[in-house]
Amino acid sequence: MSSVSLRNVTKSFGSVQVIKGVDVDIADGEFVILIGPSGCGKSTLLRMIAGLEEISSGDVLIGDRVVNAIPSKERDIAMVFQSYALYPHLTVRDNMGFSLSLRKAPKAETDQRVNAAAATLGLEHLLDRYPRQLSGGQRQRVAMGRAIVRDPKVFLFDEPLSNLDAKLRVQMRVEIKALHQRLRTTTIYVTHDQIEAMTMADKIVVMKDGLVEQVGPPLDLYDAPANIFVAQFIGSPAMNILEGRLTPDGVQHGDIVLPVPDALRQRAGDIQAVRYGIRPEHLVLADSGLPVTADVIEPTGSDTVIFGTLGSTPIVVNIRQRVDISAGSRIFVQPIMDNVHLFDETTTRRI
Amino acid sequence: MPKPVTKLLKAVCVALVLVWSLVPILMIVVSSFKADRDIFAAPPRLLFEPTFNNYLTLWNNWGDFFHGLVNSAIITIGATLLAVVTSALAGYAYSRFRSPTLAFSAFFLIFIRLIPPIVITLPLFPAVNVLRLNDTHILMIVLYATFFVSLGTLVMRTFMDQIPRELDEAAHIDGASRLQILRKVIFPLSAQGMVAVAVFVIVFAWNEFLFAFIFTTTNAKTAPLVISEMYGAVEGVEWGVLFAASTLQLLPVLIFVILAQKHLVAGLTAGATKG
Repeated sequence: MSSVSLRNVTKSFGSVQVIKGVDVDIADGEFVILIGPSGCGKSTLLRMIAGLEEISSGDVLIGDRVVNAIPSKERDIAMVFQSYALYPHLTVRDNMGFSLSLRKAPKAETDQRVNAAAATLGLEHLLDRYPRQLSGGQRQRVAMGRAIVRDPKVFLFDEPLSNLDAKLRVQMRVEIKALHQRLRTTTIYVTHDQIEAMTMADKIVVMKDGLVEQVGPPLDLYDAPANIFVAQFIGSPAMNILEGRLTPDGVQHGDIVLPVPDALRQRAGDIQAVRYGIRPEHLVLADSGLPVTADVIEPTGSDTVIFGTLGSTPIVVNIRQRVDISAGSRIFVQPIMDNVHLFDETTTRRI
Repeated sequence: MPKPVTKLLKAVCVALVLVWSLVPILMIVVSSFKADRDIFAAPPRLLFEPTFNNYLTLWNNWGDFFHGLVNSAIITIGATLLAVVTSALAGYAYSRFRSPTLAFSAFFLIFIRLIPPIVITLPLFPAVNVLRLNDTHILMIVLYATFFVSLGTLVMRTFMDQIPRELDEAAHIDGASRLQILRKVIFPLSAQGMVAVAVFVIVFAWNEFLFAFIFTTTNAKTAPLVISEMYGAVEGVEWGVLFAASTLQLLPVLIFVILAQKHLVAGLTAGATKG
C-alpha cells in the first residue's frame, strides 16, 4: 500500500494541452474517484499514473518516489481496463498468474496466490476456462483477479463497469467497494457515472477541461459544491440553476422572487448577478410559494420526479413520496432554506 | 428468387469451380500412374492398369530431381521462416507506432509490388556475382523472403491492428518487456496471420521458376527447374515420368495448404475484450 501524489502535473499532445496542472494528494488506502465529462482528461491522468502516458511536466509520486521516468512494471501498480484486456489465448488461471509467471515466481506460490484471488472473487470453478467462455461480469472479475494476484501498492480502474448492464453494474459496484474495504489497497478509479462516484469513493476529484474543479468526500461535494459545474455534475437529477439578480427580498428571477436566507445574502455582499441553485430533492410541495407547471411526471416507486417550468425556466422537483399530480397542472413548491445555494454569475463560484 | 433455385445455382457454380481447379490436378496425378500409351488416349481411359514404372524411371534416371526437391525444401523452409519472422516484427512496428518515416516507407511496401519481378532480377545478377552468392541456398532464401516481406508485413499489420492495444498495455503493466509482449501476447494472437503469410511464401517459393532459373545452376537448383529440363530433354519427353515428378512436386504443398486451412479459419481473438 502506498500514497499517491500529483504535483502540478500537465500533459500535452503536440500543441494541445489536455491536463493543465493537476495537484491531488491521495492517502494510503484511500479510494479516490476521478470523475468528469468525456474529454476532461481523467483517463489520461490515470494512464499517466499507470505509466502508459508520458508526463509533460510536474511530478507523479507513488509513496515518496517520483515515478515520472519509471516504467509501469516497476511502479508496482495494477490496472483494470474498461475492455478488461484479458489475454484471449490464456485460461483464467494463466491470465491471473501472468504477471507472476513473468517474474518467474515459483509455481507453488503462483498457484496459491491465484487460488486465493479466485476464492475472493468466486472464480474457483472458472479457472480452466478461456475468456471467450465467460460472461461480461465474469470477465470483469477475472480482470480484477489479475490485479489482486499481484498485491500491488495501487489499484487503477479505468471505467471498469461501463460495459456491464445496469443490474450487474450495481452488483459489481458493491463488490468492488467490499473488496477495497477488505484489502485496503490505495485505489484510483475513473468513471463518468456520478452514482458510482458518490457510492464508492472516500474522496472524489471532479475534473473539467484538464483541471480539477473540486476535491472532497462525496457528501461535501453534494452539500457544498465549489461552483456551478460541480453542483450540476454531482447529484441526480442535477441541481436546478436559475438566473437572477440578488435584491434585498431575494433573487429576482423574471417576475418571481426566489427566497434567500439572510446569512447567505449577507455573504454575497455587493454581488448582484447571481445564479440560484436548489437541488430537486430540496424543493417541497406547499400550498403557496413558487408556481410550477408540471409538464412530465415520473413516478419511480420510491420518489416522484416532476419536470416542470417555473416562469419560462425548466425546473425539476423530486418528491420523496407518491403524489397525485396530473401533467399540465399547476403546483406550488418551497425551497428548504438551508439548502439554497448562490453562485457568482461571473466566476461561477459558490457564494 | 425462390430458395431452391438459388441453392441449385450455388451448387452449379461450386461444381464449375471444382472442375476448373481439380481436373488438371487429377489429370496429372492419374496420368503419373498410367503407361505412356494410355496417357493421351482419346477418349481418355478411365479404367487402366496402374503402374509405378514412371516413378521407378524417375528415381533411376532423374536423381537430379530428388536433389532438386531437397533444395526446394531447404529454400522454402528457410524463406518461409525468414519472411514470417520479418513480416511479424515489421507488422508490429507498423501496427503500434506512428511516424512520418513509417508512413512513407509503407508506401514503398506497396510500390515494390508494382514492378515486374524480371525488372528487379536482372540488375541483381552482377551484384550477386560480386558477392559470390550465385547458386547458393542462402541467396534464394533471402530473395524469396524479400519478395514476400512487403505483402507479409501488410498482412501481419492488419492482423495485429485487430489485437486491442490494451492487451499490450496490460502486459506492460503486468511486467512484460517489449520482447515478452511480442512473444507471449502478440505472436500467439496473430498466429493466423503468420499461417496466412507462410502459405503465401511456401506456395511461391516451392513453385517459383524465374529467380531459380537465373540464379541457380547445380548446387541450389530447385525441383521446378529439373521438371523444365525433363520437358526439354534431348531424347524426347517422357510424359509419364514428367507427370510423376509433377505429382511429387505438387504433393507437399497440397498437404500443407489443407492442414493450414483449419488455422486460417479458427477465430483465436474472440473474447479478448468486451465482445
